[in-house]
Amino acid sequence: MMDQVFSLIQKLRAKSVYFLVLIGIFVLIFPQLTDNQYILHISIRILIYMLLASSLNMIVGYTGQYNIGQAGFYAIGAYTAAIIATRAGYSFLLILPLCGIMAASMSAFLGFPTLRLRGIFFAFTTLGFSEVVRLTILNWRTLTRGTFGIPGIPLPEIVNFQISTNNHFYYLGLFLLVVMLFISHRLINSRIGRAWVAIREDENAAKAMGVETFKYKMINLMYGTFWAGIAGGFFAYFAGYISADSFILDESFAILAMVLVGGKGTLVGPIVGAIILTILPELVREIARYRLVIFGIAILVMVHYRPQGIAGAKAEGRRIDVEKEYEAGISENAVETTAPGN
Amino acid sequence: MYYIEQLFNGITQGSIYALMAIGYSLIFGTLGLVTFVYGEVVVFGVFVGYYLYAVVGLNFGVALALGLVVTWGVGIIVDKVCYEKFRNAPRLIMLITTIGFAIFLKSSTQIVFGTQQRNMPDILGHVFLNIGNFRIPFIQILIILACISFIIGLQLLLYRTRIGTALRALSMDKDAAFLVGVDVDRVIKFGHSLGCVLGVFGGVLLGVFYNAINPIMGPNIGLKAFTATVLGGITSIPGAVIGGLILGVMENLTVAVFSAGYRDIIAFILLITVLVIRPSGLFGRKLES
Repeated sequence: MMDQVFSLIQKLRAKSVYFLVLIGIFVLIFPQLTDNQYILHISIRILIYMLLASSLNMIVGYTGQYNIGQAGFYAIGAYTAAIIATRAGYSFLLILPLCGIMAASMSAFLGFPTLRLRGIFFAFTTLGFSEVVRLTILNWRTLTRGTFGIPGIPLPEIVNFQISTNNHFYYLGLFLLVVMLFISHRLINSRIGRAWVAIREDENAAKAMGVETFKYKMINLMYGTFWAGIAGGFFAYFAGYISADSFILDESFAILAMVLVGGKGTLVGPIVGAIILTILPELVREIARYRLVIFGIAILVMVHYRPQGIAGAKAEGRRIDVEKEYEAGISENAVETTAPGN
Repeated sequence: MYYIEQLFNGITQGSIYALMAIGYSLIFGTLGLVTFVYGEVVVFGVFVGYYLYAVVGLNFGVALALGLVVTWGVGIIVDKVCYEKFRNAPRLIMLITTIGFAIFLKSSTQIVFGTQQRNMPDILGHVFLNIGNFRIPFIQILIILACISFIIGLQLLLYRTRIGTALRALSMDKDAAFLVGVDVDRVIKFGHSLGCVLGVFGGVLLGVFYNAINPIMGPNIGLKAFTATVLGGITSIPGAVIGGLILGVMENLTVAVFSAGYRDIIAFILLITVLVIRPSGLFGRKLES
C-alpha cells in the first residue's frame, strides 16, 4: 500500500511539468470552486502551515540545525503584528515585514551563543526559547495582556483595498507562500544555499573548504525564522485574535513533524507534509484528539523506514550511499561518538 | 528571614535537580548524545506511580517502586525504538527519534492520565523542624536526605561494582570498552534505564515538594535537567550535583525577588549564559565546537 503510494508519487514526479501546471491552475481557481467557508478556512490554515513548515525546512532541511521551537518565532511574529496594529495602527504593508524582522533579530540573539557549538545545544535552546517566549507573553501583561490575548486586530488594507473575506486571505497567503518558495529556490541554488548544504553534509569539511560556517548558519537561521515571523503576522491578521495558547510547544512539534514526514531538504516536502498532517485530523474527527500521538509515531516510522520523507527524492545518490555505509558499519562518526564530552 | 527560607527551598529543589541531572549525564555518558525524551519519561513514570498510589490504592512505597520498575521498562523500550538501530549512524538521527518519541509519549501521557494538574498526597503533613527562629518543613529535610543517599548509592554502584565499572569504561571510550569484553549493548540499556529511574525518582520528589504533578511539565523537566547538566559540565557527576544546586537556588531566589511567573525562565537564561561564557560547564573538559 505505502509502496504503491510512493511509486505513484515517483511516476507523477516524472511528469512533473504537467503535474505542476495542473496543480498551479487548481490552486489558483480553488476558491472559485467552493463557497464553503469551512473548507476555505482550512485551506488558509494549511497555507499558514505550509509557510511555517517551509520556513523550518530551510533550517532543518538545508543546514541540518534542529530548531524545535519554531512556534516561538511564529509567536513573535504574531504578537508583533497584533501589538503594533492595535496600538499604533500602522499599515499592513509596513507591519508584515516588521514581523519577520522581529523574529529574525530574536533568532540572531539565540543563534549567537549556540550556533558555534554542537547542534545539540542549538536544539535544546530553541526548545527552551519557545517556552520562554510563551511565558513572557503570559507574564508581560502590560504589553501582551497576558492570558487574555489580544482581540480586535484590524483587517489588513493594501493600498485602499481591504482584505476581508476568506477568499482574499487565501490569495494573500498563497502569494506569500509563492514569494517565499521563489526566494528560497533562488537562494538554495546560489552561493549561500550551497554553503548551507555543505554545512549539512559535513560541517568540518565545509569549514576546511573555507566556508564560514558560523556566518552561514546565522544567515540560514535568520532567513528561516524571518518567514516564521511573516507567517505569524499573517495568522494574527487572519484570526483577528491571538493568545499564547496558539503557540504552545505542541505547535512546534506539529511543524517539525510536517517537515520530517513530508521530506526535509526539498521544497516540496514540507508542503506535502503540511497538507497531509493538517487535513488528516480534519477528515477523521475521531483521531483529532490523538493528532500528536500520530505525528510522533509518524516521525519514528519515517526515520526507521523512509528517512527521506514522503516526497523526498530517492535518487539523492550520495546520501543513500552514506546510509548503506552506516549499515555496513563503516561509520565515519564511530570514532567521534565514542569520545564523551567532545 | 524570608530569603533564608527561600534559600533552603532552593537547596531542596536543587538537590532534586541534581538527581535528575545525574540521570541525564548518565544517559549522555552511555549514549554519547543528549536525549529529548527524558522529561517525558520522567512525567510518565511519575504518573504511573501516582495512579498506582491514588487510584489503585497501593502503599506509597510499593507504588513508587512499581513506578520505577515501569520506568526501567520504558527506558528499554526507548532504547529499542530510538537508539538500537542507530548506534553507529550520525547522531542527528537519534536526535530525531528522541524528538519523535517525546512527542508520542507526551501526548499519550496526556490522553491516558488527563491534562489537569494532580495533587500529590501530603505524606508527612505539616511537620516542621524548629531551629531557633527557623521553621524548616520536615519533608524538605527528608527530600535532601533521599537525594544524598541516592547519590551515594550511585557512586557505590559506579565505583564498586562490575557493571558500574563497565558504565564508566563505556563513557570513556566505547570501542575500547568493547575490545576488553564489555557487553556494550547490555550496558547501554542498563545505563539508560538507570538514568531514567533516577529522573523519575527526582520527579516524584519534586511532586512531593510542590504537592502537585502536572502532565505537561515534561519539556520543562527536560530543559532543567539539561541546564543543570551543562552547567556542571555534561559528563561530570559531581558537576551535575553542583549544577543542580545552583539552578535550584537561583530559581527560588528569583521567585523571591521577582515573581513566581518567571520561575521557569531562569533555567533558560542560565543555560544561555553558560553557553556564552563557558560552554564546557564548570567541571567539564573543553568542548570542541
